[in-house]
Amino acid sequence: MAAKRKTYSSPYLAGVGLGLVLLASFFITGHGLGASGSMMSAVVAVEKVFSPEHVNQNEYLAKYGGGDTNPLKDWYVFELVGVLVGGLISGALAGRVKKETNHGPRINKRQRWIFAVIGGALFGFGARLARGCTSGVALSGGAVLSLGAWITMMSIFAGAYALAFVFRKLWI
Amino acid sequence: MFAPLEITHDFRLEISLLIGFLIGIGFGFFLERGGFGNSRKLALQFYFRDLTVFKVMFTAIVTAMTGMIFFNAFGWLDIDSIYINPTYLWPGIVGGLIMGAGFVIGGY
Repeated sequence: MAAKRKTYSSPYLAGVGLGLVLLASFFITGHGLGASGSMMSAVVAVEKVFSPEHVNQNEYLAKYGGGDTNPLKDWYVFELVGVLVGGLISGALAGRVKKETNHGPRINKRQRWIFAVIGGALFGFGARLARGCTSGVALSGGAVLSLGAWITMMSIFAGAYALAFVFRKLWI
Repeated sequence: MFAPLEITHDFRLEISLLIGFLIGIGFGFFLERGGFGNSRKLALQFYFRDLTVFKVMFTAIVTAMTGMIFFNAFGWLDIDSIYINPTYLWPGIVGGLIMGAGFVIGGY
């Protein structure tokens, strides 16, 4: 019974649920979901503590928190905090809340963490270049049939599949 | 047309942020339900061993898309005021490739 509770929902059911949340976002706010933009807001918030002049001078950073605006008083930041809460609720209901490091059998925890940092840094850089990540571009932009979003989505899969063989030891 | 609600009703910032938080809860809930909390499960898609990501993602896209088309046809949702991601071809391609590399190396 306990083992059964730990199994994930049907991906199609989870997909419909996720789609309805995305639809609600479009219906209420006029835009979709996001993730990487909130990290950008967090970075700008930290930078603003140390160098508010630089935030004001740089047009891109100013957009997130120039002048008197608080970079953290942002829709996507609050949404991302909600993501953490929602994930925790789902995990708790299914008995999946525990400390773990997911990796393939051929590497250890430490190696996995090193690659996680490298991969995360690359992903963050790529997300800024493409104006969004898998949430804001691939999922939300995909649902509104943005041409650029579909190109970026296909590029993400292309990049990952192209390197999958090289990094197979991490996962299988 | 009475939606998108934020555009037709001009919400206060606090209300808007609260909505963001609530929508985020739904987002996180269904991501975790589908198994997106496990990086190995996500990465195994690149070895054709677990295609959860595709199933969840494209089901979600089709669901939201269909909903928007119907809401627009019912005269509820003004589809022209929906944000559509602008297309910047090369940054989109290069950024996507770098994200893909980061995804298979980092797992998310």
